[in-house]
Amino acid sequence: MKYWPYLLAALAVAVLLPLWLAPSGYLIRVLTLALLFAALGQAWNIVGGLANQISLGHAAFFGLGAYTSTLLLINFGLSPWIGMLAAAGIGALAAFVLSFPTMRLSGHYFALATLAFSEVLRVLASSWGSVTGGPAGLSVPFSPDSLLMLQFKSTRPYYYIILAALLIVTAIFVAIRRSALGYRLRAVKESISAAEVIGVDTARVKVIASVISAALTAALGVIYAQLTYFFDPDSVFGIISISIRIALITILGGVGTAIGPIIGSFLIVPLEELANLLLSSRAAGLSQLFFGILLIAIILVQPRGVLVLIRNIVTRARRRKPS
Amino acid sequence: MAFIQAVLDGLMIGGVYAVISIGLTLVFGVMGIVNFAQAEFLMLGMFVAYFAWAYLGLDPLIGSILSFIVIFCIGFLVQRTLIQRVMKAPPVAQIFLTVGLLIVIENLALLAFGSSFRSVSTSYQTSSLRIGPLFVSVPYLAAFCMAVLSGFALWLFTDRSWYGQAMRATAQNPLAARLMGIDVERMQQIAFGLGVGLTAFGGAIVLPYFTVNPTVGSQFVVLMFTAVVLGGLGNVVGAVIGGLAVGVIQSLSALLFPIQLQNLVLFLVFIGVLALRPTGLVGSSR
Repeated sequence: MKYWPYLLAALAVAVLLPLWLAPSGYLIRVLTLALLFAALGQAWNIVGGLANQISLGHAAFFGLGAYTSTLLLINFGLSPWIGMLAAAGIGALAAFVLSFPTMRLSGHYFALATLAFSEVLRVLASSWGSVTGGPAGLSVPFSPDSLLMLQFKSTRPYYYIILAALLIVTAIFVAIRRSALGYRLRAVKESISAAEVIGVDTARVKVIASVISAALTAALGVIYAQLTYFFDPDSVFGIISISIRIALITILGGVGTAIGPIIGSFLIVPLEELANLLLSSRAAGLSQLFFGILLIAIILVQPRGVLVLIRNIVTRARRRKPS
Repeated sequence: MAFIQAVLDGLMIGGVYAVISIGLTLVFGVMGIVNFAQAEFLMLGMFVAYFAWAYLGLDPLIGSILSFIVIFCIGFLVQRTLIQRVMKAPPVAQIFLTVGLLIVIENLALLAFGSSFRSVSTSYQTSSLRIGPLFVSVPYLAAFCMAVLSGFALWLFTDRSWYGQAMRATAQNPLAARLMGIDVERMQQIAFGLGVGLTAFGGAIVLPYFTVNPTVGSQFVVLMFTAVVLGGLGNVVGAVIGGLAVGVIQSLSALLFPIQLQNLVLFLVFIGVLALRPTGLVGSSR
């Protein structure tokens, strides 16, 4: 366990750093978003990393979560904490239902089916205006600085809540990876038929993993809604802004590792924010273009992520030294 | 009568969808890659035809040939410089490379052409033929005829020419094709160029009844993928049937549902087909 000192140091920095930053400033906002996307990447990692089922539709669960809690809050005045439980339940249910058509799919087919599913929900959210507010979106009723209602004026409390969420999701990921479920998922990843032969109920394993992943993603959607106070179908069900970004962050950092999504998120989110800051005033589309070029560059240089890239460079450097 | 009219309109539009979908299925058939950026090449094809109309005065139906040539060349180069590198990589890398291409092309177009909607005006734009109680819109009919012609040309190419046969050999078994002295990489470059070129051609011929802007691809992406999955990924005949079916489904659902839900019906068909027959409804599983 030689990693423990580093982890504790990183955690100490993560806890103490916001105390130096302006409580509602731009920097803490970027860090909070990075933490949120790290947690989302970690939840995606349970299915995408361990079982290698590349979902391009996690926005479906994210959006379901945001809509569930916000609608409960608007219509019944329910606290988002209860909404979070409801959202996790609905996310889990959605993943369970989706697993029927997608259970036997993998690779490109799985990616396409999950993408289509999130689009179904986006279209529904846009057109079912009487309930969802339609394309105009929903605003969270504002009653600031109440932990019970998960609403604060400054960003700092959100930072700590999302940091806690990231720790919880990471702990769940690590627990799954070490459990029998984790070994079964990796067996599915290596070879589905071999896993079947040694007695793994592959369908069951995949369903359990995607249900857990979806429930966590939906719960994080609730926090996002509370953080932004406003969202519309395109922002929470966005293919590029949510689904692809989540998957990319995990893949960039290192798929299937606990640290991967965190590294990926803290690279991608600040880079994107920087690009937004510098480029979006120049011309529409420039920062998105940057995002796309970054994506292509990463895939061409090292499709298995920054971790592998760093490891390769380190081993190469070590090999050179003795000679 | 509204029903028959809807089926007729659906078939007319479906013919164009067929050409668009053939392009997508061809790329998958020869290379085993799902090109998520396919609809962006369609958008580029529409822009080429639009500019050919605006600056050269070419009718979009003729400009579509120019679209095909330009996008073929772009596709050829994209395959050669980018996609070739991930041909042996895991699907994740292939998925994300084409997704990256999608984002890059769309935003480059946004930077170059702006976000405004553009449309052409032609003499036949609003005219329609009357056959008994039915109406056939002339731009629909013209696009349909061009689609049939291009389908015929593609059949001639793949069935009769050496290149076409070599390309089919590459699709069947790249290793065996290489042993027969076929330059597999070159064939894949041609196949990708041909695939995106055909889709771009399909985009250009609908220009008389469709506006173009950099995000127009998102309107075609659903129906394109549904048609291809209906017919079985990689199956050209299947894509034709799938394209026609999607046209009819879309046209009929417009009779029954509000316009926003049109795509929803397609999505459900899409997920349903993936669930029940991932190899497609047409033909047997390979």
